[in-house]
Amino acid sequence: MLREQRAGLLAGVGIGLLWSAGKVAVPKLTRLAVDRAVLGNESLLFWSSMIAAVAVVAGVFVGWRRWIAFRESRFTEAKLREQLFAHIMRLHVAYHDRTQTGQLMSRASSDLMQIQGFVVMIPMTASNLAMVLAIVVVLAVQQPLLALVALAPLPLLNVLAMRFSRRIHPAVLAVQAEQAQLATVVEEAVSGVRVLKGFGAEAVTAARLRTEADDIRTVSLQAARVRSAFLPALDLLPNLGLIAVLAIGGHRVLNGQMSRGEMLEFMQYIGLLIVPLRSIGMTVAFGQRAAAALLRVNEVLSTVPLVADPEPAARQRRLPDGAAGATTDGTTGRGEVWFRGVCFGYDPAAPVLRGLDLRIPSGTSVAVVGATGGGKSTLARLLVRFYDVDAGAIFIDGVDVRDLALADLRHAVSIVFEDTFLFHDTVAANIAFARPDAAQADVERAARLSGAHDFIQQLPDGYGTLLGERGYSLSGGQRQRVALARAILADPRVLVLDDATSAVDPSKEHEIREAMATVVSGRTTIVIAHRPGTIALADTVVLLDDGTVAATGTHDELLATSQRYREVLAALAETDDEPTGIDEPAATAGSS
Amino acid sequence: MWAAHAVTDEDRLDRTETARVLRRSLQFAQPYRRTIWWAIALVSVGTVCTVSGPVFVKLGLDEGITGQRATALNVAVACFVGTVIIGYLVGRLQYLAINRAGEGFLRDLRVAVFDRLQAQSMAFFDRNKAGVLVSRMTADIESMGELIQWGLLQFVAAGLLLVMTLILMVALSWELTLVVVLFVAPILGAASVRFQRQSNRAYLDVRERVGQNLSNLQEGIAGVRVIQAYGREVEQQRRFFASNRALYGSHLHSVKISTWYFGLVEWAGIVSIALVVGVGGLLVHRGSVEFGTVAAFVLLLSNLFDPVQQLSQLYNTVQSAAAALHKLYTLVDNVPDVAEHPKPVTLPPTGRLTAHHITFHYEGSERPALHEVSLSVAPGERLALVGPTGAGKSTLAQLLSRLYDPTSGYVSFADVDLRVASLLSLRERVVVVPQEGFLFGGTIRDNIRIARPSATDDEVAAALAAIGALDRFDEFPEGLDTEVRERGSRLSAGERQLVSLARAALVDPAVLVLDEATSNLDPGTEAVVERALERLMQGRTVIVVAHRLSTVRRADRIAVIDHARLVELGTHDELVVRGGRYAALAQAWARSQPAAEGTAGH
Repeated sequence: MLREQRAGLLAGVGIGLLWSAGKVAVPKLTRLAVDRAVLGNESLLFWSSMIAAVAVVAGVFVGWRRWIAFRESRFTEAKLREQLFAHIMRLHVAYHDRTQTGQLMSRASSDLMQIQGFVVMIPMTASNLAMVLAIVVVLAVQQPLLALVALAPLPLLNVLAMRFSRRIHPAVLAVQAEQAQLATVVEEAVSGVRVLKGFGAEAVTAARLRTEADDIRTVSLQAARVRSAFLPALDLLPNLGLIAVLAIGGHRVLNGQMSRGEMLEFMQYIGLLIVPLRSIGMTVAFGQRAAAALLRVNEVLSTVPLVADPEPAARQRRLPDGAAGATTDGTTGRGEVWFRGVCFGYDPAAPVLRGLDLRIPSGTSVAVVGATGGGKSTLARLLVRFYDVDAGAIFIDGVDVRDLALADLRHAVSIVFEDTFLFHDTVAANIAFARPDAAQADVERAARLSGAHDFIQQLPDGYGTLLGERGYSLSGGQRQRVALARAILADPRVLVLDDATSAVDPSKEHEIREAMATVVSGRTTIVIAHRPGTIALADTVVLLDDGTVAATGTHDELLATSQRYREVLAALAETDDEPTGIDEPAATAGSS
Repeated sequence: MWAAHAVTDEDRLDRTETARVLRRSLQFAQPYRRTIWWAIALVSVGTVCTVSGPVFVKLGLDEGITGQRATALNVAVACFVGTVIIGYLVGRLQYLAINRAGEGFLRDLRVAVFDRLQAQSMAFFDRNKAGVLVSRMTADIESMGELIQWGLLQFVAAGLLLVMTLILMVALSWELTLVVVLFVAPILGAASVRFQRQSNRAYLDVRERVGQNLSNLQEGIAGVRVIQAYGREVEQQRRFFASNRALYGSHLHSVKISTWYFGLVEWAGIVSIALVVGVGGLLVHRGSVEFGTVAAFVLLLSNLFDPVQQLSQLYNTVQSAAAALHKLYTLVDNVPDVAEHPKPVTLPPTGRLTAHHITFHYEGSERPALHEVSLSVAPGERLALVGPTGAGKSTLAQLLSRLYDPTSGYVSFADVDLRVASLLSLRERVVVVPQEGFLFGGTIRDNIRIARPSATDDEVAAALAAIGALDRFDEFPEGLDTEVRERGSRLSAGERQLVSLARAALVDPAVLVLDEATSNLDPGTEAVVERALERLMQGRTVIVVAHRLSTVRRADRIAVIDHARLVELGTHDELVVRGGRYAALAQAWARSQPAAEGTAGH
């Protein structure tokens, strides 16, 4: 990952070394100035100018080192984040099913921050190390004994800084964990305020909050104890070096074995060592955390997308051309779907579909009916290869979906999901999601067909209204109509409606069903019916039971012939006592 | 890592606000004032120790070495050792003292803010976004935690160190001090102020870009199914890369700012050594200062530079903490608008619930949510509220249970105005069962006991038995002690509703206000919930916001609410005969279930 940054980081290290040289020169020059000018007869101006000249060098290079270090580390971070995002976009749906959004978010944010924090330290640490080495060598050559005594406590500084960083890390994590628990209590109390007020139960949550607030105080004080054990010691150690220089050096000066300037030089060197030694200790601890973060990031990056374009490319096929809105009778038209002996289970031990056979002629519509959890929505997910079948195959116009480029397949099939997802963008952009270059007229036509046009026009900025988390929030029914318009505009060969009307106001539902009928006519459509009302949209009905097709026919035929169909319908109907309406103002006022 | 706290213009407090923040902080700090004085004393001693190190070096050099007296040198060394040890011990104690006071202060603040938050009326919760309220209690207080853990100490210590170093320098040599201060103060001061402003702005920019980038990231991950379904991966990637590169640009900009500042500080630090040596050397030649003073100055310079840098870093932290405190105190000082009457009346056990010409406006809305509604419900009567979306049904239900107070008119129970009733007796007589069974973290038992914290285990079990749901939970391996997990995710939607109903049963109220669920349950549970609800309603006055035909049919009377008004009131048969709104609604119900004929079996 650092290959691209290698040149930059090397430059950073080089510049850092120049800075180190400047820093190391200062005490040396000070000593010369003291011995030769302050206490001697040479020119004060000359020696102080020398020091001032070094000041320019050190100033320029310290800034430059910082600039390069941060530029390279931020670039590494940005690059890695882009790689992650691109990879996440391509990972198969089954991966996303078992990975929480929050987990991936922290890979791409906090983990990358730790890596960045480490990369930035590479040039810093290299020049710090060089400086420490140079100082040790200079001191050891000049006054070996004094150097030994004065420097003896300093390695401890490094050890202490490292141990501190390790000890404080879990303490900080504990504080964060307790803060998260308190946040949960607050969050529950705010979200559940109606319950609490309704029962006058504020005292219960208040008591919980006190417990959590006390816990935070306890763990914070534990962290403070760690700090109090280490930080004053970190201040103490360099002073021990200074004292050694004063005590031993002082006597050597008295005995004439050492100059006063040299003593001041020693003291300055010890002062110079404090920051680098501390930060080297921190770097070690940082490096360990960054390595762990890098491992986690790499785990995501090295996950192979299980659903991908056909390999080798030679296997890839294209969908045959067919006249749009083709005939409803043959398999030669556009949009014929064939599930052949399809077996599938999210968990291999619990198959959902067991050898399902279903052929949907082009241009016809089919309602799939079945008990909850019986695999209705699974059919749609397999068709667009969110998952691949365990056995059997699915064909669109005679081509196995696994032999199609993913882009072609997903261009040919559009799904309106049960739970609609809208992006933080304008209404028009959300509708034109599949075809960003669509003309406004096409967008509006799609919105009219889905029954969304009227309410969109009443929005503050019409089609330009921003939606999503940070924008205008639509009601459930409105969201579904926007999603429906999105699918209509995509103009797919096959349209899948996963109960697209479930959250629609019943007074409106009638209109939408009429609009839907227009959309559906002449297009292969699969309606996943979670409610009896939706069945009316389709030409034929397929009863899914025990992982296979149990019966096929019109609604009336099945009603007359299939006992199981009547049972399933009754179960659906029981949950389908039509709501009189949704979204009470009190509820929206609370959440808006 | 630099300027980790940015201050927006709105965050800057004016004089009166600052005064208020200070006054209230002192009040909150009252219980810890001894610890605080102790901490201040420790910090002062610690700073004296830090500053005195170079003084002993000077004494050792001048009295011991230049004066050729070994004893003086040894005394100076011994004193240095003494101050270092004292400094170390004091350092340990001061961390503990500051944290004890600080964490205590934060703990009290958390409790006070939360208690006041809970005392607010429903209107307050409508007005303020949940996320904002939660962040008051979390992010705002936590940001002060950082300040307390290290910032406050550093702030005080840096200030003291700066002052003491200056005093000491003047005492050693006012000439040399003048030279250093004249050179350092203008450059470092101006640079720090400029840097503080620039980095604040840069950090605000970074923070905003980070937020945008994270929400793009989040949108991409959460919407990955739709993105893949429509083959929009590349387009989405392009959008994310754009915001990611913008963030990178902001980062670079903020580094650029710190680059010149750090370079300047480094330069100034070394140049001032040159100055001290040069000017100090002249003074030594003239005999007005001793060599040890020059050496002490060289060592003291870092005591001058470090605090200035620290203070400029901390400036933002302190400002943003003050802004956070200001918001918190505003919340603490907010008087709840649905409060208990000073002389509360205990409500009688039963009676009619009556609305007298009530009108209600949601805050900030010009149109009334309810207009001049009057109705009366007899003990044991069952009233269904129906009407189109947004007509005001739920609002009426919430006014009848005093989650809000009407803008005009009033609600009475057994002829007692609800506003003078004691909140305790009101919550015992009238219970609201919300749409979705909202569960808190904890066990099933804890969740039921929310309704009456003093209830015994037997009473909780009895409440469940009363609605016929005890067996269902007893079957769990851990029975009623089962942890429901976050938001009750361990339980099904139906089971959550059962818990919600059991709460009501535990209170055993005279009046039950139900907001019927719109979402569907799995058929098996649906029947159990229906039965539980039916048992709960037995013998009580019931007001139900109805979404289902079946519920409406079981009510004694139906109130139709439309456009904030009560437009029809009567039995099902009466209203159908009248041929008004209700009749039309009943027809729409029938029409929207074309495929369900012969199957609506209940």
